[in-house]
Amino acid sequence: MAPLIPQGFVNPDLNLFFAFVIGLGFGYVLEQAGFSSSRKLAGVFYGYDFVVLRVFFTAAITAMSGLLIFSYLGWIDDRLLYINPTYLWSAIIGGVIMGVGFILGGFCPGTSMVAAVIGKIDAMVFVAGMFIGIFIFGEFYEVFEPLYMGSYLGGIFVFDSLGMSREWFAMMLIAVALMAFVVTQYIEDQINKVSFEEKSSRPAYWTPALIIIGLGVLMIMLPSQPRSNWNETSAQKLLTNVVNGNQLVDADEVAYSLVNGKDRPLRLVDVRSPEEFAQFSLPGAVNIPIGQILENQSEAILSDKTNKVVLYSNATTLSSEAWLVATRAGIEDLYVLDGGLNGFIQTVFLEKPADPAHNMNLAYQNRFREKARQYFLSGQSAASPKTLSVPVIQTVGEKPKAKGGC
Amino acid sequence: MKNIPKPYMNPYLAGFLLGLVLLAAFFVTGRGLGASGTVKSVVITTVGKAAPEHVANNPFYSEYFSEGPGPMKNWLVYLSLGVLAGAFFSGAMSGRLGFKVDKGPRISSGTRLIFAASGGLLFGLGAQFGRGCTSGAALTGMAVLSSAGFLTMMAIFGSGYMVAYFFRKLWIS
Repeated sequence: MAPLIPQGFVNPDLNLFFAFVIGLGFGYVLEQAGFSSSRKLAGVFYGYDFVVLRVFFTAAITAMSGLLIFSYLGWIDDRLLYINPTYLWSAIIGGVIMGVGFILGGFCPGTSMVAAVIGKIDAMVFVAGMFIGIFIFGEFYEVFEPLYMGSYLGGIFVFDSLGMSREWFAMMLIAVALMAFVVTQYIEDQINKVSFEEKSSRPAYWTPALIIIGLGVLMIMLPSQPRSNWNETSAQKLLTNVVNGNQLVDADEVAYSLVNGKDRPLRLVDVRSPEEFAQFSLPGAVNIPIGQILENQSEAILSDKTNKVVLYSNATTLSSEAWLVATRAGIEDLYVLDGGLNGFIQTVFLEKPADPAHNMNLAYQNRFREKARQYFLSGQSAASPKTLSVPVIQTVGEKPKAKGGC
Repeated sequence: MKNIPKPYMNPYLAGFLLGLVLLAAFFVTGRGLGASGTVKSVVITTVGKAAPEHVANNPFYSEYFSEGPGPMKNWLVYLSLGVLAGAFFSGAMSGRLGFKVDKGPRISSGTRLIFAASGGLLFGLGAQFGRGCTSGAALTGMAVLSSAGFLTMMAIFGSGYMVAYFFRKLWIS
């Protein structure tokens, strides 16, 4: 169901309207929390005010838990969420520079906007400084580019990096946050020399703390099956398919379909790299490099119900991997070209005709393969004379467009 | 009679509400919040107006002009307009409007402004490397449990704590 806009439930023109409304909430909460004061913000680094840590951590675990729960309930398809790509050193060095900026400036970008609009002059100056900083980055982009684009690790998850399950990591983060709340409150009280009376008059937050711990435990206990995608294929079903070889399609069938066109429509999907695809591919094939197999645009092609979708690569390793991943992700009725491209060429072009005298089936097969050879080599075909392309060499299908983040 | 500002919201409640706002952003658009991206859009638009040829030769700038409706008609810019409106509304409701320089007790307003500008400069620069700031990279990244979000968050606060001692004069007595 959600996210609404990527799923096409909401007119994209309303996108900007939603942006404004969500921004209203964002700005209101930041200002109410006291983030319009640089003194308060900087307090987190000197121990006299940990409001930043409290708000930041609470918001992060709220949103994280919300996303996990929505995903369990099938309210949100988390494959459509934007996952910040990890460029290791760029992220670390950027963070270090921002940390120094935080100490010197007393703001971060969002809070400086909030503060500037209610009249904080230091915030206005901070915003002006940001313009200069971004301008410097733009002007010296070529110098920074190797660092900026380097050490790319993809859209990786922290729980994978740590070798934990998502649920355990979430639970651990909640525990760390709660401990941090207690410890920082203690530090803050020591530094500000808070009296005993004042301390004991504060709420103890037992109820919300217990609720969120309960939530964390619940997340761990929930069965992991419906996680992330409610139409995933079970491992058992996959195994059955693999063992029986149900997913394999032989070269003759593919050749037959190519020659005879409409009778048995096949959708050929080339899962090799774009370079290999450009060099050589089967007629009418679409290139979806294996790395993009789970993207939305790919899914539209792979879950084509009117055609039989056949994946191929040079041999069968890559195509079988792609088949496994896509099938696991819930795309049904996918096939793999048995023997791959190599096998296809071997079968259709290189195999010596068996002696037909002993076997009528073989005779038919030979006749058919001869016909297929004619078709691919000469481009002459009685069945579909309109696709008279040169041999087997490349027909570039529409390549699914991979769209990056911000 | 002097207008006394209302107290700030309970931080845990504010955090919870902020989390809901973030969740709403994910629910509607599939991506979270951000702030520095808007400043980037404004910088790029300004440079684009001032020196169009320069922009065309620089991949950092030209990316924004090559497709789509241009740098200003995007999600983050409208989000920030909302942020400004929401914050102004909040400030007005709580009696916190007014020109003022917030600073530590030991420095002059002039010093504070110089450091505020340098801090902004560094933050703007760092947010490019980090591919977002505390909201776009750290908070949003943490909510989706991306490694980048946690790395950037730890780097921001880690380096903040490391240099805090040297700049203590700016903030504490």
